[in-house]
Amino acid sequence: MAQIEMKNVQKFFGQNQVLKDLHLTIENGEFVVMLGQSGGGKTTALRAIAGLETVTSGKILIDGKEVQDRKAADRDIAFVFQSFSLYPHMTVRENIAFPLRAVRMDAAERNRAVNETAETLQIAQHLDRKPSALSGGDMQRVAIGRALVRRPQALLMDEPLGVLDSKLREQMRAELKRLHIARGSTSVYVTHDQIEAMSLADRMVILHDGVLQQVGAPDEIYLKPSNLFVAKFVGSPVMNVVDVQIDGTRVALKGVETDFSFGEGMLAGLSKPGAGIALGLRPEAILLSHEKTKGYSEAVTTNIEPLGSHDIVDVRLGEAILRVRTASGFVGGEGQTVWVGLDTAQAHFFDNQTELNLRGAA
Amino acid sequence: MAGVRTPREKWTNRTAIAAVFLALIIMLTPIYWITATAFKPRNLATTIPPTVFFTPEVSPFVKLFTKRSQLREQPTQEEYESAPWWEKMVVDGGEKVVRNRKTGEVRSSGYSDRFKNSLIVSIISTVVAVCMGTLTAYGFSRFKVKGEDDWMFFILSTRMLPPVVVAIPMFLMYRVVGLNDTHLGLIILYTAFNLSFAVWIMKGFIDEIPKEYEEAALVDGYTRMQAFFKVVLPEALTGMAATAVFCFITAWNEYAFALIMTNRNAQTAPPYIPSQVGSGLPDWTVIAAGTLLFLIPVAIFTFLLRNHLLRGMSFGAIRK
Ligand SMILES: Nc1ncnc2c1ncn2[C@@H]1O[C@H](COP(=O)(O)OP(=O)(O)OP(=O)(O)O)[C@@H](O)[C@H]1O
Ligand SMILES: [Mg+2]
Repeated sequence: MAQIEMKNVQKFFGQNQVLKDLHLTIENGEFVVMLGQSGGGKTTALRAIAGLETVTSGKILIDGKEVQDRKAADRDIAFVFQSFSLYPHMTVRENIAFPLRAVRMDAAERNRAVNETAETLQIAQHLDRKPSALSGGDMQRVAIGRALVRRPQALLMDEPLGVLDSKLREQMRAELKRLHIARGSTSVYVTHDQIEAMSLADRMVILHDGVLQQVGAPDEIYLKPSNLFVAKFVGSPVMNVVDVQIDGTRVALKGVETDFSFGEGMLAGLSKPGAGIALGLRPEAILLSHEKTKGYSEAVTTNIEPLGSHDIVDVRLGEAILRVRTASGFVGGEGQTVWVGLDTAQAHFFDNQTELNLRGAA
Repeated sequence: MAGVRTPREKWTNRTAIAAVFLALIIMLTPIYWITATAFKPRNLATTIPPTVFFTPEVSPFVKLFTKRSQLREQPTQEEYESAPWWEKMVVDGGEKVVRNRKTGEVRSSGYSDRFKNSLIVSIISTVVAVCMGTLTAYGFSRFKVKGEDDWMFFILSTRMLPPVVVAIPMFLMYRVVGLNDTHLGLIILYTAFNLSFAVWIMKGFIDEIPKEYEEAALVDGYTRMQAFFKVVLPEALTGMAATAVFCFITAWNEYAFALIMTNRNAQTAPPYIPSQVGSGLPDWTVIAAGTLLFLIPVAIFTFLLRNHLLRGMSFGAIRK
């Protein structure tokens, strides 16, 4: 088990800068999930930690020791690839034993380690088969087994569930969590599935265009996004963002007659000239009412998505379309008039120019 | 080919099968011709129209392996009776077997030596070309090589020139360095021919092997070399087998350089077989016998590697 640090890490592929001044500390035994869009540099960051990619500048430390110039083999880190990359010409047993052969562990001990790992991952019955004879989920288990068998300092996983179907992903997610709790190995996990990220992470790292956007516990990221990118990237449906004017304790939307009023002091220091301010509202921060209510504004529903446990209702408020989460069946259909209010405690304000959360990051 | 077939499709299918058979017959005819000729008595070999029914003999093969000369005087009855069966065949054909003056041992023709030379040169040059090609291809496939595309094109371009064009300069250079008429000389030549081909084919195969295989081995504590041998090589075997078949066929059948560069010690079978046309009257049955035997190694080699070959050919298509 180990602590992993990245300091000022930069990575260029030719002219293309893929990692921009990355600072990150992953604590011993922590499960960190890197989340970001395609091309954000997640894989590159992970490969840099593993030693599969050299960094252009900066330091990578494992337990305080600089490793950026060490070979992958000397870093004692395990890597699980999205494609599993099990060796097709070896049986499951040989695959799992492969890392142990590198350190020339004696046969009896090796067998014991392989069997134990296979038991933990429930693949003992497949040990003598070839990987091609396994289901996707079992291949995945073998890949994780191969990574865990020599008890590495840290376990890096690059979208390990990416090619599985959604049902299996959910199941494997739970197993990974269980395994992490049992083994307590420092883990870094890359994904672009935010549900996966939220459910697995002790802490999440949001990476966009090679720049670290925010690091924090899943609820922190969700409740206090540090900038517009994080706000829009995390959460589904996407956070509603509308341009607003702020005047004292009142917030005005374009084309809406009634201003929304906030509590005394809630908007302190927010009025800002220039490019203006954006109001961010998650679908559950918007309240709907069938009757005219004080402080609410009139709006028209334009679309309903029934999702079983709840509905997502699109309403036109002034010039904006807002997506609102309601109890299922709350709105009967499109074209209905409803009254829209805000849960002011859940409102976020962003500077349109810098895109930063005006209340500061978590 | 599952599912329902309409009568029309059935007819298309039958036509296709008929066409394939026709093509097969056309392609197999020369093989049949050579095989038949190799077992014919000499006087039936060149009849017009061709003789189809005849009693097969092995005399062409006997003649192929022995040194013979024109029979000037008929042997006595006694001599004839005491000769072994194969010598009688030669005598019946109007020739006699040449023996060593002192020991009386039968002198063999050059065929078996030439055949051996062919095997030595082809096998070694194939192995070398495939190994070097695989390593080169691996390098190009996995590492950043400056001007990679230009290098690959350059490698390919060595095959754009018909090799015979450089035969004379090569011959002169070989004579200076003493590689004329040596196995090593031919091996170097054939390896050089085949190398560019091997690099290109193997590059395709190695590109198809996910680099995660080696990377997994690298993080698991292996060196790049170990990863290559333990992980890449087993995956590349199919491609290497396919490449080897092609290299072997090229080397085995090579005629022009073998003719120019060798004459006795290292001569391979291809220039030797037709040279027999010129000794006395051409005996086509002997040439056919030599050709027939010459076909066998390639057939065996290809047959042994057929599974790899088929998989090799469809490699890129089937993989995800
Ligand atoms: N070996 C490479 N050579 C050149 N450019 C590369 C290389 N690997 C990655 N890149 C570039 O670096 C950027 C980041 O890639 P990376 O694979 O790290 O993103 P990612 O966040 O993992 O994306 P994804 O979610 O699609 O896996 C991309 O623009 C990609 O084109
Ligand atoms: Mg990636």
